[in-house]
Amino acid sequence: MQSRRDALLSFAAVWGALSLPAGTAAAGAQPAVTVGANPGWTPTGVSPSQAQVLDALSELIAPGTDTPGTREAGVPAYVDRTIAGYCTAVEAGEFRSVLDALDADARARHGKGFAALSTSEQTAIAATYDKGQKFSPFGRLKEVVLVGYFSSEPGATLAVRYDPIPGDYKGCIPLSEVGRAWAL
Amino acid sequence: MANLNTRWRQENTYDAIVVGSGMTGGWAAKELSEKGLKTLVLERGRMVRHLEDYPTAATHPWEVKYPRAKLPPDELKAKYPVQNRTGYALTEYTQHFFVRDDENPYTEDQPFDWIRGYHVGGRSLLWARQSYRWSDLDFEANAKEGVGVDWPIRYRDIAPWYDYVERYIGVSGQAEGLPQLPDGVFQPPMEMNCVEKVLKAKTEARFPERRVTIGRCAHLTEPTEEQIALGRGKCQHRNMCMRGCPFGAYFSSNAVTLVAAEKTGNFKLRPHSIVTEILYDEAKGRADGVRVQDETTGETMEFYAKVIFVCASALNSTWLMMNSTSRRFPNGFGNGSDQLGRNIMDHHLGVGAMAEAPGYEDRYYSGRRPNGLYIPRFRNLGDAATKRTDYLRGFGYQGGAGRPNWDRNLHAAGLGGARKDELSQPGPWMVRIGGFGEILPHADNRVTLNRDRKDRYGLPTLRFDAGLRENETAMRRDMKTAAVEMLEAAGFTNVIGYETPSPPGLGIHEMGTARMGRDPKTSVLNAHNQVHECRNVYVTDGACMTSASCVNPSLTYMALTARACAHAVEASRRGEL
Repeated sequence: MQSRRDALLSFAAVWGALSLPAGTAAAGAQPAVTVGANPGWTPTGVSPSQAQVLDALSELIAPGTDTPGTREAGVPAYVDRTIAGYCTAVEAGEFRSVLDALDADARARHGKGFAALSTSEQTAIAATYDKGQKFSPFGRLKEVVLVGYFSSEPGATLAVRYDPIPGDYKGCIPLSEVGRAWAL
Repeated sequence: MANLNTRWRQENTYDAIVVGSGMTGGWAAKELSEKGLKTLVLERGRMVRHLEDYPTAATHPWEVKYPRAKLPPDELKAKYPVQNRTGYALTEYTQHFFVRDDENPYTEDQPFDWIRGYHVGGRSLLWARQSYRWSDLDFEANAKEGVGVDWPIRYRDIAPWYDYVERYIGVSGQAEGLPQLPDGVFQPPMEMNCVEKVLKAKTEARFPERRVTIGRCAHLTEPTEEQIALGRGKCQHRNMCMRGCPFGAYFSSNAVTLVAAEKTGNFKLRPHSIVTEILYDEAKGRADGVRVQDETTGETMEFYAKVIFVCASALNSTWLMMNSTSRRFPNGFGNGSDQLGRNIMDHHLGVGAMAEAPGYEDRYYSGRRPNGLYIPRFRNLGDAATKRTDYLRGFGYQGGAGRPNWDRNLHAAGLGGARKDELSQPGPWMVRIGGFGEILPHADNRVTLNRDRKDRYGLPTLRFDAGLRENETAMRRDMKTAAVEMLEAAGFTNVIGYETPSPPGLGIHEMGTARMGRDPKTSVLNAHNQVHECRNVYVTDGACMTSASCVNPSLTYMALTARACAHAVEASRRGEL
């Protein structure tokens, strides 16, 4: 039986499919994080080594630019909490496997962990999983990272526009007056 | 002992009892208490006070626990397998306003999505606030087509009560002069956005019988002195309505009618009170009161009154009547017609079209309008031009245009700052219109009392056996076709028609299970919402509906309730109850 939920999901899928082509990854050369650094939070949903990969992957997906990145927005810890307290056991396992696989690939290619690689090295490895498949573990993990980022206070208020109490509705104004997408 | 009993009975006696505190219960409470009746409102769930019991009303997106504020899948599966079927309504923000399905079981011989909240205010906190009048096209349809039974009222009977209710609750909308969707007492309409204005202009030029208007919704856009005096304010366009409105800007029992009832000094509200039975006095030939089971203590008690308003929502009012058996009513209260529980209706939906609207990339909007477009019914209006040979009745569309924000296509390939910046810009303009279609009454689309399956209070549960029929199926084909042709005529691109199954209940407009009619042999209620066979009991929620129309029903329930209250007060004064 299909419900309105499915209807909305399929609507969302079409909506999504019609959006603009994905942006290209920014290539950098500097190491994304100090090797072996404590990510600054205590993981509960992933192991300490998975936490380092998560921290690096998260920042790779949405780095700091002229707006804050995921690390500044606390997204790695958010994803960890999501794995610990939201995901089903199956999905949590899949997400941990993604982190393990990225780390294993990094060690196989470069002899060091994913977090210790340069951004361009990380991008090359992540790109082998980042195929735009909606239901792939990598695709779903990326979704959690991005939802976490744009729902965070820095993400919602700086990367996009947040107005808790708009007051009025204006139906047709120049985009330049807003400048960015609305957070909600 | 006799004295004690007498005193106890006096202390538990009121002029009026109202069962339920939602959309209609709140109205009955206000009307009866304002007219001087000592009124007891019995609510099965917990107290929800306006403002202080809206814990998430000001919660920011970064203050919720879970992605998109959705509850964890394991919790949804265990506690909310039915309530989650809407896909949108149940979140961390609103969880406390929905029942837990594991604690409130029912049986589905065919799928029935029974979405509900057990607390003071009921679904008046959760409704979509769309407020439309019925017309004589609706009231006359059953008689003209030989479907079900004739409505015992016509538009002229209810029109002044629509005026009365709209003026009081505040309805924002645009007058259109359409006979099939009468205009009301409107506060200023909300604005259409750029692309919606294009849809309106192109649709109306190409299809003269179709009108695109802004939704008529129970939000204050220009509050009256009366509304301000109740503590209500103008809509702030937050679109967080289901959390409870800190501005009292949309209509709910909590913010409006219960506040008004409280001011009379004639009103008492008892939460945690499951009304299990209407007590019938055989000697007097009328209802005497109700039996209540306290939700928290399990204690049973009785309350007495001259007049009883049953406003527990269609299916729970029906449950209460089915559970109220006596020598006089062995098959349920007032059920000599055997119509109680039959003719269950809703609106069918999940069918329409969507498209992309290129060319307006430099345009956007500000504010979150808690309202959309409305396209009133344009089929089977009584003339040859709109006549359909494949189905009876009709449908309206609700929808709108907008630009998706960052939450789009997040799984798509792409990493890094460019992708982040792209998501920080709004997506393409999208348009969607979805139909709300009328469902015909069928005697064997029904709900029955299941004494074999008890809930946690030891009370019998409901069993559903209802589904869509041929008329609805044929209508759905047209709902999709007509939607596609409108979006194409508007010049939009990538037009896609969609249709997903729509089990009854999903419209959350369940109605019809104790219908009004002219003949006690074929209906449960008369033209004033009185039980034919017991005149001091009124049923004014969705149970009373003789047919479903295609418009959202709450405004009509409220108008019928106010009308029935006036009748009850007059009839009581004349000694007729």
